[in-house]
Amino acid sequence: MDKQLVRQIKKHRIFYLLFIPIALYFIIFTYYPFFRGLIMSFQENRLIGTRPFAGLENYKLVLSDPSFLSSILNSLIIGFSDMVLYFSLALLFALVLNEITQKKIKQGIQTIAYIPYLLSWAVIGGVWALIFDLDGLVNRFLALFGTEPIFFLATPAYARPLIIAMGVWRSMGYFALLFTVAIMNIDRQLFEASRIDGASRMMQIRKIIVPSLLPTMKTIIVLLSIGVLTHFDEIYVMVNPANRSLINTLLLYVYENGILNFRTGSASAGATLVMIGTVLFTALIRRLTEYDKEE
Amino acid sequence: MKPRLIRKDQLPIPIRAFNILMLLLVVVLMGLPMLNVLSVSLSTQAKSDSPGMVLWPNPPTFEGYQFIWKYTNLATPFFNTVYVSVVGTVLHVILASLAGYILCQPNLPLKKGMTTFVLLTMTVPYELTMIGIYAVNKDLGLINTYTGLIVNGMISGFSVFLMRNYFQAIPQSLAESARIDGASELRIFSAIYLRLALSGLLTIGTLELIRRWNNITMTVTLISDMKKWTLPVVLRFILFDQTSTSGTSYIFANAKMAAVVLTALPLIVLYFFTQSFFSSGIMIGSIKE
Repeated sequence: MDKQLVRQIKKHRIFYLLFIPIALYFIIFTYYPFFRGLIMSFQENRLIGTRPFAGLENYKLVLSDPSFLSSILNSLIIGFSDMVLYFSLALLFALVLNEITQKKIKQGIQTIAYIPYLLSWAVIGGVWALIFDLDGLVNRFLALFGTEPIFFLATPAYARPLIIAMGVWRSMGYFALLFTVAIMNIDRQLFEASRIDGASRMMQIRKIIVPSLLPTMKTIIVLLSIGVLTHFDEIYVMVNPANRSLINTLLLYVYENGILNFRTGSASAGATLVMIGTVLFTALIRRLTEYDKEE
Repeated sequence: MKPRLIRKDQLPIPIRAFNILMLLLVVVLMGLPMLNVLSVSLSTQAKSDSPGMVLWPNPPTFEGYQFIWKYTNLATPFFNTVYVSVVGTVLHVILASLAGYILCQPNLPLKKGMTTFVLLTMTVPYELTMIGIYAVNKDLGLINTYTGLIVNGMISGFSVFLMRNYFQAIPQSLAESARIDGASELRIFSAIYLRLALSGLLTIGTLELIRRWNNITMTVTLISDMKKWTLPVVLRFILFDQTSTSGTSYIFANAKMAAVVLTALPLIVLYFFTQSFFSSGIMIGSIKE
């Protein structure tokens, strides 16, 4: 038995050999940074030399830092709003788009909606800066109803809605495409059969399309839940003194403290807390959607 | 044969009206801002900074592009980003497909452990380990180097599993008969598997190129030297920061929007070439493990 195993391993040795560099990469650039950050969260902030252990000091520091606490709130508001809006608008859009029978029009609209997903957050920041400018498209449109021009990017009340809208503008088409692909994979015979039974189109949508999309819905919800607390790029692009306190998210806090200001201990303590939050939240979502149960 | 059914059971009128309204809204909300950016970028300096919305440049001019490309030297970060993205993507595709090939071998002892080892790297988003990543790269002397940007993300669990899924669809008998004919494992990998999974390679290649071209998090974590910034980070600076720094001259809206277009265009062009792979690749990618 053992001899056979040894023989099998010998026979496959080329694969193990090829796997070594891959394993090394993951160890050095994925596993090690993870544990390194974890250890640093228990150490004093120091760049050079040995870092004395500081117990839970960093965690106490972070949890009593008002800007960390406000970044929790910001992350939750922005993260959850985006998650809910991405999901519901994408689903609605895919269902609506599916009712178009002209293939060319359908594809055209789908492409227009998908393109923003190819764009960098900095590009979308540029789009936002232009259309939300004092005499940009949005203010021109509002002027039709007699509204005075608003300087959106510097008005605190619009800070969060604008960030959330950026995400929706960028990602709705992408998630809608996932739904569209799933709709296309539904067995055509189901529609034929239900038509013979006299089902209306509305009934087909409710009884065939939506139930068939359930697995895709679960996958997308789980995908989205992983990213709820990790909003960074769009914040990095859009943050300014006027909106900072309202859109400063957890990851921006970690980045500014740890990498710009070298407070590595408290920053990695913050990152570790976000990690725990993400793992717990994802586990909860997996449980709620019974993601791991069937099939 | 049954007559081809025309969809006679239309949706109720209010719902159809809602559908049309929603699609129009999507087209307007997505299309108009993009058109606006493009038109301003093609406008004259004076026109782009005077009030009034521009949906059509009149007269169209490339002076904004010339200004941003030459005068503020966007060419440098542009080509640096091309370099980092292309080299990084090629290495990523090679390594991910190699790993996927290894993990699709039947009867490979310890395969389960190796699979879990790769799978685990997907559980924590890399953004959350940025402090650790910074520290490790600092020890390796990779801070402020393009090598650092290329090496980090050189392979990802996501791409490995996507390639493995593609490879698993290839019949085992092909590899076995090649083995009997005396082909080496690397030869089987390159001549059979890579060739037959070409659409998989293109999918992860395109996704990775987009990810790298647009990446901000990794760039600002590893690169603090402004001169080495990649395009998106430079673009953010041009858009929002340059007014607050002395020493740089004012950049007009047409030039700013030209920078936006130059950052966006390569990926949009790429998308139209690889479009057909997208829907398949995207779906396979999101299928659960």
